[in-house]
Amino acid sequence: MNNNQKETKTNPKKGKILPAEKGIREEVLNIFKKALAENVFDAVLIPAKVPDTDAYSWILLQDESLFDIADPLPPVMTVQGGRALSSFSKAGELDLKIAALMRPCEIRAAVELFKLHQIDLDHVALISMDCPGAVPLTDYMNDPKKMGESYKKISEKWEISESLRPACQNCHRFSLMDGTASDLHIGAVGENNKITLISNSSTGNDILEKMGFETKDSLKDWESKKDKLVKEKTKKREAFLKEWKEKTKKADGFFNELNKCINCHNCMNACPICYCQQCYFDSQMITFKPETYLQKTKEKGALRFPLNTMLFHIGRMSHMVLSCVACGACEDACPVSIPVGRLFSMVGDHTQKEFDYVPGLNREDPLPLQDFKEDEFCEVETPNECEEKATEEAK
Amino acid sequence: MAKAIKIKKNVEEGLFDFLKSLLEKEKIKGVFTLKKMDDNGAVSYSLITSPDEFKNAVPLYPFMPVNAGKALSSFTLLGKTEEPVAAVLRPCELRAFVELIKRAQGDVENILIISLSCGGVLSLNLMGEQDQEKAVSKYWESVKKAEVAPDTRETCQFCENFLPINADITVATVGQKDLDKEFTLYFNTPKGEEFSKEASGSSVSEDIETKEIKDFKKKREELKEKYFKETEPEESGLKSLINIFSPCLGCHGCSHVCPICYCTLCEFDSKTHDYPTSSLSSDLRVKGGLKVPSGNLLFHLGRMTHMAVSCISCGMCSDVCPVNIPVATVFSKVGASLQKEFDYFPGKDIEEPAPQGTYKEDEFTKIGEQ
Repeated sequence: MNNNQKETKTNPKKGKILPAEKGIREEVLNIFKKALAENVFDAVLIPAKVPDTDAYSWILLQDESLFDIADPLPPVMTVQGGRALSSFSKAGELDLKIAALMRPCEIRAAVELFKLHQIDLDHVALISMDCPGAVPLTDYMNDPKKMGESYKKISEKWEISESLRPACQNCHRFSLMDGTASDLHIGAVGENNKITLISNSSTGNDILEKMGFETKDSLKDWESKKDKLVKEKTKKREAFLKEWKEKTKKADGFFNELNKCINCHNCMNACPICYCQQCYFDSQMITFKPETYLQKTKEKGALRFPLNTMLFHIGRMSHMVLSCVACGACEDACPVSIPVGRLFSMVGDHTQKEFDYVPGLNREDPLPLQDFKEDEFCEVETPNECEEKATEEAK
Repeated sequence: MAKAIKIKKNVEEGLFDFLKSLLEKEKIKGVFTLKKMDDNGAVSYSLITSPDEFKNAVPLYPFMPVNAGKALSSFTLLGKTEEPVAAVLRPCELRAFVELIKRAQGDVENILIISLSCGGVLSLNLMGEQDQEKAVSKYWESVKKAEVAPDTRETCQFCENFLPINADITVATVGQKDLDKEFTLYFNTPKGEEFSKEASGSSVSEDIETKEIKDFKKKREELKEKYFKETEPEESGLKSLINIFSPCLGCHGCSHVCPICYCTLCEFDSKTHDYPTSSLSSDLRVKGGLKVPSGNLLFHLGRMTHMAVSCISCGMCSDVCPVNIPVATVFSKVGASLQKEFDYFPGKDIEEPAPQGTYKEDEFTKIGEQ
């Protein structure tokens, strides 16, 4: 698995369909067990339930018996998968072949983190899976049994339920799409008794070959079901974007949503893209003498403490929103229920379109802010020349 | 006995008027207090200098969006305020401020400290929610009757230190049946007394520690025992610790909102604690599997050893935990036993150094050499 091979994206037409009589979760685990036993990988990163508790977590496992606690589709997203992967691969080169089973938004985060040099992806096979979404962490922790059961139903029916996290309800990138960076995709949409393995890179081809899976099965069935759901969810997402753009058309509307903020920075600490060891807004760069605070207060009549509660969000937004993968981890971690994920995802949608950038797809696509294009945003930089050029082109 | 003045006004209104008049008469240059942000129920701490802006001040509103001790520390981190400012804060927030001052993170000079006998604060997840106003009115009914208010933080429910220490002025609220019509201000210090003539009311000679207060204290002590018992794991040791902290995401929200955790960069957020990728193979060989990100439990234990002896049990940490870990109760409990060992009451005395900062030769000789 090296970098060069990964560049050749296949355009999958065929896959391997496997029966899953005991359920999708069980069959997915079987594949990983087999791969580990056959030394296709040295270790597997997969969600797991912490024994004797209701909590979920990520586990990097090598010992096969630990598959007993693994759950490929947990009801919650605990730590964002990209963040989990980065946690052990940012401080050096991996000397193991790792397979990481993650939700598509986690894969996208991992790719963004790769571009930000926070992940060693060269030794990782990214394996994505059709994702039914997850339920809000707090809802789950408040009643694990009820939410666990209700999630089971939602995930079996692929229902766009209101019990899902808002980010998941509005997610149209829950499956394999053009440019998805995973090496292998597990198609499961609309099915409870079979799964479809789809190779999405030369690494994916290798994996399937080593495991003896021939990719001769038609993808039509999975594709039609997936496309239908993508369509439905795209519509949902567009409605969400429209509603929220209207709601926040004026700056006041936007800030009203944020004014409950208590400055805990949970959103940032849960965000996979916010990788800085120390955020500028946690530093002492913005500390003043009491006189300065009083002076500032007198100018405005009142000054909120801690300072820069709003500026923090704006600053964070300008730093990471082009890479926002709309995973909703921020909103899940907010203790005062600010729709922060929706706000960021909405702004991300807009700015990403401006740069014609979808975060977390091809890892060769450079980050927009690291890529200078002379003719980009000429209407902002040199409006006159830009206009001339446009008129000329029109002629 | 401290000078006390009874004012014939609703407590919220009365305190508001008192502070506003201090501001208007320029007895103080600013008020540091809770302020309504908007109509959506959000409140935040603000420094207010204009009497006009003061209209949105809600000094006694039962929420703690940030620990005011921490907020005041950010105001006075680089030195004392030259102009006098009044600050309204709850007893635990005041204790936090005192602990921060000991750590050279704040300065109380020129700050008029106003506190209250405190009925607690409502859980933050109610802020901005539909039931907010309902919960607030229920809260005041309970405070008047000196009862544990519903929907208050767990740490508030078992807090027996609800009378402020080190306040220049104390507003009596707990157990004051007629708070809607009248309330009493206690001027505890010479600094406080300077402002007593600004309070228009009649002098009374009443002790703030009424029978209701004493009974309430007892009630809360019982609750403390109950809650501490409930967090007591079935067996002590690693397994129970893992169980308690297993849902932890490592967001470190608890440390960010903790007034005692004042480090600009926590050791556990620093590169020192990045997992060394080169250890992966051997770790996996030995353990078979790793929870990732790793080190969540170590973070809590490390944070605990750093701050629990100064834990003032404000409950901020539990309120911000996205996965409902009873952080505050666990830390309070460990804090209580540590504080007992060191014979230390966090936030009581500005002059008393924090235990980690003092070496006593005869301390813990049982554990030491002799």
